[in-house]
Amino acid sequence: MTDAMLDVGLHERRRARRMQDRSYRAAYEQAARELAQTDAVIQELDALRVDLGMSKAELARRVNRNASSVRRLFTASQVRPELPLIVALADALGAELRIVRRQEDTRPRAGKGRRGERIAAAS
Amino acid sequence: MPSRGRRQRRGPLGRDPSGNLPWDVIYCAEPDGTVPALAFLDSCPSTIDAQFTAILDAVAAAPPPRFSGGGKWEAMHGAMGGWYEIRLTGPGREQFRLFCLLENGTSEELAKRGLRRCAIAVITGMRKPWRTTFSDRDYQRVRDLGDDYRRQHPRRIAT
Repeated sequence: MTDAMLDVGLHERRRARRMQDRSYRAAYEQAARELAQTDAVIQELDALRVDLGMSKAELARRVNRNASSVRRLFTASQVRPELPLIVALADALGAELRIVRRQEDTRPRAGKGRRGERIAAAS
Repeated sequence: MPSRGRRQRRGPLGRDPSGNLPWDVIYCAEPDGTVPALAFLDSCPSTIDAQFTAILDAVAAAPPPRFSGGGKWEAMHGAMGGWYEIRLTGPGREQFRLFCLLENGTSEELAKRGLRRCAIAVITGMRKPWRTTFSDRDYQRVRDLGDDYRRQHPRRIAT
């Protein structure tokens, strides 16, 4: 049986080769970070729902949505997660979303004045 | 017996909670050896290629029916039912699509296809300007590639 198995390593090899290009690597890593965050939010909401023993239909009722829209959200079937729906689901599950600054953020920062304005606007 | 609704303890992000291995990512090859999906990816801007790869990796790590792929991995409907697409927007709002099939089933079924485990089969890709649509003929070409691919035992893939 082993002899008949196909070599499926091309994807890994291609990725490794392409990652040697700095701009490709940067784009890949940025995309991976963004995907991980979105996936973590949705998967955590679904885990909370399961923890509470709440069906998708019940959760949908609590946020005044069709059961199918919530089902599609949790199974990645035709979804573009919308923030208002995510927030509503979190609230219905007794949770909330937060933005947390990464401890080691290596991205370039905006100028001091601009950052100061933002802080002032937020306080 | 576990109580209903008890959360299954999950490992690090990207691991299947059932303990299943992540899926493989494979590329359909045509009889003459050309690989439409790789030809497409190679023709994309580097950043788009990188994003497609990152999404494939995310979905392979947490395969359907779980949510993964950041909302950019979607099940298709209608005539494309059974297909999945990755949808990306590039420079100038150009639209990029990668079309995939799922290779899942029992271990015996997978073995007949030459696969050790489940996989995402990347079939081909297409691009179009913003606010235009692919024609029925375009989608038919995608389906034809997929139909031919699924007739092969073992699968004809790029190695």
